[in-house]
Amino acid sequence: MNAAVFGLTAMSLLLLGASAPSGAVDVHVTTVHASAHGRSDRELLEHRPRLRRLVGYRAFRMVGEERRRCTWQSGEEFAIPGGRQLRVVPQGMRDQAVRLRVQILDGERALVDTDVCLQNRGMMLFGVDQVEGADGEALIIMLKAKR
Amino acid sequence: MSALTCADVESVVDSFVDAELPRPTLLAVARHAGNCPSCDRTLRELGELCEVVGQTARADAEALKVPDLWPAVARGVAREESRRLWKHRLRVVPAWSMAAAIAAAAVLWVRGGDEAPTRVAARPRPNQAVIERLDSTARVELRRERKSGTTLIMVNDTGGPLR
Repeated sequence: MNAAVFGLTAMSLLLLGASAPSGAVDVHVTTVHASAHGRSDRELLEHRPRLRRLVGYRAFRMVGEERRRCTWQSGEEFAIPGGRQLRVVPQGMRDQAVRLRVQILDGERALVDTDVCLQNRGMMLFGVDQVEGADGEALIIMLKAKR
Repeated sequence: MSALTCADVESVVDSFVDAELPRPTLLAVARHAGNCPSCDRTLRELGELCEVVGQTARADAEALKVPDLWPAVARGVAREESRRLWKHRLRVVPAWSMAAAIAAAAVLWVRGGDEAPTRVAARPRPNQAVIERLDSTARVELRRERKSGTTLIMVNDTGGPLR
């Protein structure tokens, strides 16, 4: 009986190992403060036109940057301004794209909970907009994933 | 327009470099920079940086080897010309021949309806992201930039601070 249980467990572990993608994924999170007036940081000059088109603000200042090597299926939490957390769970590869579960958590509350397929080495953005209009401001999270 | 302070210039420096300010404000900033070495230096530095980025982009574009570009453009122009010619012919064609053509097309469509259309897979863009699921407790807006395929999920949340 014990041998059978051991055998089944070993088989399950082998199957799990075979189905999970090997290696890890580099996750790069940059947080940016966007506002209607002021200067932009030099580091963001390359992204400024795209940020302006997508986010609609004029000035972009870098607040934080973090790079981590994440293992598949395990959640990594990145602290973002305002006491919130960005939780990223790399789930696997599909057609040269990295599948990720991404959550923006404000305490227990998930502001966003999404599953995305992001092109390998690509970038996507999350934004937390506080006040709409000309005097508003927003927090932008630039998320890059590289296998 | 009243004289600007260094703080005023600081708040519009990006727009000044992009030449997006109204003419009187542009002049006021330039006038201030003429008497303020610190603001003058900032404006010059940022202007030079933008120029360097622009030059790099131009150099990259010039380094691109595109021997097929002009033949492709010429083919596109010829196609457009031909399309215009057909439009003109259709306008002057008699109604009975138009009806005959539609009838023939209908017959062909009915007879050849079994064949599945060929699908051409689009090449993924560098930042393309496919949203498979999206839940939120706040108001969410999905935006996408066509050029690079960059996706933005924007949440409107008045709950907490941003900094």
